[in-house]
Amino acid sequence: MTITSEELIQGLDDLPSLPAVVMELLGSIDQEDIDISVLAKKVSADQALTAKTLRLANSSAFGLVKATTIQQAMTYLGFQSTRNLILAAAMTGCFPSGRCPSFDDKAFWRLSIATAACARVLARHMRFNQDVAFTAGLLHGIGRLVLVTRYPEQYDTVLRERKRLDGDLLDTEQAVLGVDHLLAGAALAEHWQFSGTMQQAIAFYHAPETPGAGFLATIVHVANAVAHALDLAGDADELVPSVSSVAWTALGLPEEVWLHVFRETELQFEEMTAILMA
Amino acid sequence: MSDDHAMVPVTQLEPGMVLSDELLDNNGLVLLAKGAVLSEATIASLQRHHIEAVPVARVEAHRAPDEQAVVARLDHLFRQHDLDDDHDWAAKLLRRYVEDYRLERQVAP
Repeated sequence: MTITSEELIQGLDDLPSLPAVVMELLGSIDQEDIDISVLAKKVSADQALTAKTLRLANSSAFGLVKATTIQQAMTYLGFQSTRNLILAAAMTGCFPSGRCPSFDDKAFWRLSIATAACARVLARHMRFNQDVAFTAGLLHGIGRLVLVTRYPEQYDTVLRERKRLDGDLLDTEQAVLGVDHLLAGAALAEHWQFSGTMQQAIAFYHAPETPGAGFLATIVHVANAVAHALDLAGDADELVPSVSSVAWTALGLPEEVWLHVFRETELQFEEMTAILMA
Repeated sequence: MSDDHAMVPVTQLEPGMVLSDELLDNNGLVLLAKGAVLSEATIASLQRHHIEAVPVARVEAHRAPDEQAVVARLDHLFRQHDLDDDHDWAAKLLRRYVEDYRLERQVAP
């Protein structure tokens, strides 16, 4: 079968829906005149989401001062950071699967959280926006969720075929479905009105040397490779993808800094998975 | 003071250390919860708060990594990479660094 990109985009409305307030947060990414107190109240109405967000906000990776309400977290951490934490807390609980037995959603989120943690650490070293890097790292593989939710049986074939060939996931997706998760992720990012930088990072994290891909794509590319190499997904068949020498050079970090990055990635990963995967 | 923790001066803290007790500021507000894992950022904040020493949990005896197992797993993770191929040098470096990290080798700055 071959899925056209038109079909893919039409089907995006069928995806398991996120809580209404999360959709509102996604839509507010480039808005400046947003009423924070109204949003904080709406998020607070969802107790599970609030609890998870606050635990994340109070984890050692983010805060030192203890926030006990969403409003406080927004005061201490700022609106942008808090919004990204709410998204992280909401996203990791969504997209239940089941019709695609080969898809391991635990391993998927573990890899996503590891990539997010590493992207955040790398961003700090590169003096890049850490919140944006964290969110891009967390959502870089979101296209896989689109495909597994929309086409569970066919995606099961993709995963079994990839395992049999021990080959590249993107190639197998293209061969079986006619689309890959980069296209699906970019379509969803556009549908959810992510910023242009975020859309580019999701579309080009596999090929960060593409002209116009942006530096965020470089960070996510390397963070993803590190997450695989540190073996954090907990997948016995783990495979390290190709590593772009252009992206590696662009970061320009010496070995002692890398060892530091690995250590901090693992520490943040442990703490965040304990909160997000609980 | 019990055996399971030690007061460590802020200047000697390292990322990854775990607080054995909650940490209060001068006003009695909780700065860090018991069990919090210290990061570079939190250590810097402690210095900004003029805190001198904090209670850190003692870790169990350190076990040396199993070199053979580490190398075998890395061989498996990087099985699709040709490490003799000069075009794949970034993957080669990543692998070497992860190996140094796992085997806790000392790296000269």
